[in-house]
Formats: sequence, structure tokens, C-alpha cells
Amino acid sequence: MRNRLLDWLDARTGYKALLHEALDEPIPGGARWRYVFGSALTATFMIQLATGVLLMFSYSPSATTAWGSVFYINHEMTLGWVVRGIHHFGSQAMIVLLAFHLIQVLLAGAYRAPREINWWFGMALMFITLGFSLTGYLLPWDQKGYWATKVATNIAGGAPVLGPYLQKVVVGGLDYGNQTLTRFYGLHVGVLPGLLVLCLVAHVALFRKHGVTAPPKAEGMDRFWPKQVFMDTVASAVVLSVLLGLVFMEGGANLDAPADPGSSNYPARPEWYFLSLFQMLKLFEGDLVIIGTFVIPTAIVVMLMLFPLLDKVLPGRVAHFSACTLVFALVGGATYLTYTALHEDANNWEFQAQRLEADRARQRALTLAADPEHRIPPEGPSYLLSRDPAFHGRMVMETKCLSCHYYGGKGYITRVISQVKPADLEKVKSPVVIEGSPRHVATSLMAIADGFTSTGPATRDKAYGEHVYRFQGRDAKEQQVEAIVSTDGRRVDVSTHSKQTASDLKGFGTKPWLRGLLENPASPTYFGHVPQAKGMKGWKKKSKLEAKELDAVAEFITEYVSKLGPEGAIEDLEADEQANAHPGLAAFKKECKKCHELGLGGEAPNLSGWGSTRWLTHMIQEPGAEDLYGFLAEDKQMPAFADRLSENDMSTLVRYLEGETGETDKTGETDKTSETSETGETGETDAFPAPAEVPKSDDLAVAR
Amino acid sequence: MSLNRREFAGIGTFVLGGLMSLVLAVPGVAYLLDPVLKSRKGGPSGDEAIGFTSLARLADLVEGLPQAFPVLAERQDAWVKYPKEAIGSVWLIRQPEGSTERVVAFSAECPHLGCGVNLAPDKHSFACPCHSSSFAIDGKPTNVIPPRPMDRLDVKLSDDADPEVLVRFQRFRSQAKEQIPLA
Repeated sequence: MRNRLLDWLDARTGYKALLHEALDEPIPGGARWRYVFGSALTATFMIQLATGVLLMFSYSPSATTAWGSVFYINHEMTLGWVVRGIHHFGSQAMIVLLAFHLIQVLLAGAYRAPREINWWFGMALMFITLGFSLTGYLLPWDQKGYWATKVATNIAGGAPVLGPYLQKVVVGGLDYGNQTLTRFYGLHVGVLPGLLVLCLVAHVALFRKHGVTAPPKAEGMDRFWPKQVFMDTVASAVVLSVLLGLVFMEGGANLDAPADPGSSNYPARPEWYFLSLFQMLKLFEGDLVIIGTFVIPTAIVVMLMLFPLLDKVLPGRVAHFSACTLVFALVGGATYLTYTALHEDANNWEFQAQRLEADRARQRALTLAADPEHRIPPEGPSYLLSRDPAFHGRMVMETKCLSCHYYGGKGYITRVISQVKPADLEKVKSPVVIEGSPRHVATSLMAIADGFTSTGPATRDKAYGEHVYRFQGRDAKEQQVEAIVSTDGRRVDVSTHSKQTASDLKGFGTKPWLRGLLENPASPTYFGHVPQAKGMKGWKKKSKLEAKELDAVAEFITEYVSKLGPEGAIEDLEADEQANAHPGLAAFKKECKKCHELGLGGEAPNLSGWGSTRWLTHMIQEPGAEDLYGFLAEDKQMPAFADRLSENDMSTLVRYLEGETGETDKTGETDKTSETSETGETGETDAFPAPAEVPKSDDLAVAR
Repeated sequence: MSLNRREFAGIGTFVLGGLMSLVLAVPGVAYLLDPVLKSRKGGPSGDEAIGFTSLARLADLVEGLPQAFPVLAERQDAWVKYPKEAIGSVWLIRQPEGSTERVVAFSAECPHLGCGVNLAPDKHSFACPCHSSSFAIDGKPTNVIPPRPMDRLDVKLSDDADPEVLVRFQRFRSQAKEQIPLA
């Protein structure tokens, strides 16, 4: 029955002849493991095709939706992180297998006549594969892809003559945005797969025409089926196992913070297989950079293309030997450059600090995107962080407020991360030994931190994944300094806190803050560093209010006065039954009202609405207003920020000051996928804190 | 049973190949079936998802005249959260004084295939512009096209002097004979 059915099918399709053609291909010299790379590549491509099509079901290519859709795939969809993870690591497997395949073909001499054209098809396939990597990297529209692509397309734009046009066409204009994404997407899912399949068909057809290139003394003969097919299948299974292993170990593929064209310190790095090219760029300066971006890569390509023709000019053995030598030199050089790139980053504290900052943004974006209260706004993921008080508001505060104010005992931190050079060390005329640290470490610190004097012994610690010395002290300008120095004294990280000349903003507007002020206005938290704010300090000296009354005043102001409109007066509170009955009212009338005329101001700020969003905004915009600090001389007032902050800056800043610091959500990602990738990368869970702020444990890993 | 090398390779190929396909198919199929496997609150999110939303004031309604009101709600669409906007439309009909129900609410979604049901030119019956379903003012079908009457929604009036009309907006399976809520 079965046979009859198959015969019927064969009569209509001729499938038996096809199968015979496909499977009974003779392999002179017998099946071999070294022949598996081409098939493993094809199998991996099939895996990429399958996972790629799956991703297309949920991916949405536009600047407003790409990041969100990838987030959705990675963090919300059933096993989406596995599908994307396989695709991500599969692309890397393609590159590795391609290198193996190329070397095997080269060693076997399979590029030589009559197989020249197939070698060229192989080259074409290599470029298509690299094209896949370049275009795919951008698609999540995250920081990593955005900046890497910007660099790559700028490199292309630097090519002679056609470069700028090519760049404009690929990018879809001068700016990176929706058109860049749709173009890259079109290339990645349409043009490149089509080209690859075409070239692959030609590649395999030509391979079949000429057969394998057996080793010279090989004997015997196999058919393709079943031994070689089995070997190929085993190889493909190994590849798939490695892919799955990587996916589970790393928790899938990483998704960086949404692309932010405005960020100025994103440490962009390409995928690891482009690191050698990246490193090579650093070797050329100024006008010579074209050698690294264009001349050398082109020379390598031309050289590879010409391999089959070497036999025409050189004796056979010499030609083959030269080709192999060249490729091994190339691989050796690339390995060396890749190693140098990784090594430099691992020893570059500045890079690591920037990466930490990028990870903080990434973590926050993922937390917000996963939070049912937030999710991603319709305008796109870039607004996730820019409208977030905990992220953007904090940044505004740090850059605009902390040069005078403190927040939680810390001022604006100027951070210098430096590699100490011999010239720096020469500046230190009389090295001082700081207790607890070796002489050379202290000397390195002195060279970078001008006029540093320690306020205590150095402590040994771990940071940046290595042993370090940690110092506390002051610099020549009496600013507080915290520093980390590596044990070899070659890397120094100095954080200098600005000098406080205004109050500490943490908890401003709350009862405890106010109660603290009433207790001791001369404390550094309040007006200790603000000589022009004499009023409260003068009052305290004469005040007869007892602790209980001060408690009542603090409560009264934060409960009732803070709710008043700008013109709310004391009579309004007396008219309110609850406020009128509050013990704080009497105390307020006894000692506060004299200066703080509610609804007016004058010799002291108007407290009506104190600490409210409206009051804070008014205070930041126009501190010299008549109802605020207009009574001070202009040069003694806080600078006005009305024109210096955008609406969004202002609202996020005020919300941050009101306590939306995001500190309660310490969970970070709830998803296991990212957790593993966070800690899996370096295996470091111990210290990598910036000196001034100790990051949460989930921030610790340093991505490379 | 002993296998020779040739048979081993042949069977091994099928076993390994099958295994690989399976390993890839499991996440692939799970990923594709995600909408079935994970019950997410699509559509309205927040309070509106379960509760009643206010559509109008009773005083705005004219007795016996169907009037359409948009349902405003926050909406979660895969990764995007939309602020309050219209997610559907409801026909409200004020009933004569003394009826047990003071307002009747019909979903404007046609039970036939989900198009938006409109008021007929006579203003006292409904007609669907897609496949000519027609309904009387009490929601009963007046031709054979719709499988069931228009979908009634739960209505509540607030306790104010000028009460608000609160409606629980829901969607129902199209084509079914019964009114089955979509979950």
C-alpha cells in the first residue's frame, strides 16, 4: 500500500530522482567531520529564518514603536525571550561558523581552479551575513544599536566620492529616525534574505558540480546519505545546543535603554566580532583614519577575492602557502585587536562608569515599561525616561540645583576618572604617605586631586572588579573629596562635592524637614551655609516656643498652611473649623506671623501653600518675587530659573523634590531574563560603587 | 537488534533532526500562541476594566430617543498605554417615567459581525450599515440577519439629584445566539 502510494507520488512529482540527486552525491575520500561547516551554516541560517519570521509577527519598525515591541517580545510574550535570544546568538554563530568554513575551504585549497567562482559566491555570502549583523543591530532602536549604527554609517559616509550619498540613502536622510529603521528593516527582512538565498543556491549548485575537495591521499568513497548527512546533523545539533545554552545562561538577548540622540556619554561598542575593526580605528589619527575605515578593509577584501588567481602568478604550493599565511595573519591580527579592545575597556574606569550610568538608564526604562502604572506612552519610549521624575528630575536637580544646594548630604559631584601618566607623577614634589595605603598609591592620588589632604586612613576595598584603595579628604578649595585608586596606582577616580551654600533639599516640604528647621535653623541642612538668611536664626535665639509647640507649628504648616492658595490668609485658616482648633495656630500667631504674613510676604517668604507644587514652582521660577525672597538684595537671592528650565524639566524636578525619587521600587526588573544577563556578564556581585553613591546591587555588573 | 553504521547514521539523522525541530517548535509555537496562553487585560485598563463608567447625566437624555455616547477609558495596547480616549460607543435610551429601568443601554457593536450600529432614519429603530441588520428600539432584531438582539449593558444611576448614568462597558462574542462576554 505504502509503496503504491509513493509510486503514485513519484509518477506525478519525480521526487525519487530528486532525492537521489540530493542524497546520493558521491563524496570521494569518504564523509568527514571537516565538511560539516557549510551545512551547519545553512542550518543556522534556517534557524535565523524561522526565528526571524517569528519576531516579525510582533516587531514594529518605527522610532516610536520598535523599542516597545522588542520590550514586549522580550519581557511579556510567552518564551519571547527564547525566540529573540536564539536569533541574537544565532547571528553570532553565523559569524563564527563562517570563519571556520572559510578556513576549512582555504586549507583544503577548495578556492582554487575550477572552484574560483564558488569562492567568490562564498565571499558574497560573507558580506551578506555581515550586512545582516549591521542592519539587525539597529532594529531594537536602543542606545546600543542607535550609536553603533551611527558610527557604522558615518564610516560608510567617509568613503571616497560616493560615501556621503550612500550614507544618505541608507539612513534615509541626514537624521537617524523612522526612515532609518524602515530602511534597515527592509534590508534585513527583504533584500538580504533574498540575496542570501540566491547566492546560497548558486553556492550549493556549484559545490555539487565540482564536488568536495578531498585530501590528496584520501581513499574510498561515501555517498552523501547517510553518513555525511548524519555528521552534518550532529554539527547542527551542537550549534543549536550551544545557542540554547547561551540563551539560558545569559537570559536571552539584552535590551538597552531606548535610543536617546541627546545622550552625550553613551559608551558605544560594536558587537564583539567588529571589535577588531573598532580597535583598528584607534590606531589612525586625523586624516589617516580613512586607512582604518576604508583602505585596510578594502585591501583585505580584494586580497581574499584574488586568492584563486594567485595560482596564475605563483607556483601552486607557494600560492596556497601564501594564501593560508595571509589568512592566519589576518585572524591573528583580528584576535589581537579584539583582545586589546576588551582589555582596554576592562582597565578603563571611565568606560565602566559610563557603562554603569547607561545600565542605570536601561534598568529604569525597563522598570517603567513593565510597571502597569506607566507602561510606554503612545509618543514612544524616549518619553519613558525624559518624563520620569526619578530619572530626569534627578538629573535636572543635580545639574541645576546641587551647585549650591545639597540633597541628602551630597552636593554636585564632579568626577574625574584618570589614567595616571608619568608626567602627572612628576608634579607631586613631596609625596605624602596616607595611612593605610602604599606610597605609590598615595602619590598617584596627589597627582590627580589637587591639594588633597586626607581626613582619615585609606581603606582597602573592591571596585571596578579589582582591589582598590578608598580615600576621604578635602582638596585645596576645602571641597569634600572621595577617591578610589587602583593598587598599582595607575587608575584614579576622584569625586569632588561642590561646596554647600544653600539648604539640603531632601525632604523639603515635609513635616520632619520643617521640624528640623524649627529646631536648628543654623544647621548645615537649613541655613547654616546661608549667611544672608538671618531671619530664622535670629528668631531661634529669642524663641520661647517649646518642643511641643514646635511640633504643632510644623504640623500646622504642612497640614493647613501648605494647602492655601497664594493669597490665602490667616483668616481663611481661622474660618476653617479644624485648622482653627489646631494647637499650631496659636503658636504660629505668637511667633511666626510677625515675619511670615500669610498671603503677602515682605520681610520673610509667604508661606501660603508652602511646599506645594505651586509654591515650589514659583520659588524655582522667581525666588526674588516680592512674596518670596524679594526682601534680599538681588545678589543674595537664589538665581531665577524661569527661563532656564523647560516645562518638562520643571515639572519633573518639582515632582522629584516632592519625593517621587523612585527609591521605593528597588525591584528593578521582575523578569528573570534580565536578571541573569545582568549578573551573568561579569559574575561580579561585589563592589563596583561610584565613590559617592553606592549603587543598588542590581546595578553592579559591568556590561562590556 | 543491532544496527550497522549505515542504519545508525540514517536513524540518528532522523532522531536528531526531529529533536532539533521539536526544540525550535516549542518556543515558536508557544510564542505564536501567546495571545491564547496569556490572558492579558486588553482594552480598558484600570478601574474602567471592571467597573461602571459615567456616560451622561440623566437630564441630558430625551425620553424615547436613542442617543450615542462614547466610552472613554485608558487602554493598554500590547506595550503602549493610551490615556483616556474613546474605546467604544453606547446607545442610551431614557425610558418613560415609572418604568422599572429608567435608562436602557445597548452596545453599539452589532452582534452580527461587530460593525457599529447606527440609528435608522426614523430615529426610533437601529440599522447596521454593514450587512443591514436591523433592530427595534427595544433591541429586538427586526430582520433575520442578526443572530440575537442588541447587547444590553448593565446600567446604574448615581444618587445625585441630577443622576449620572453609569454603564458597565463590555464586549460580546459576535455571531453567537447568546450574549457571551469576551474574556
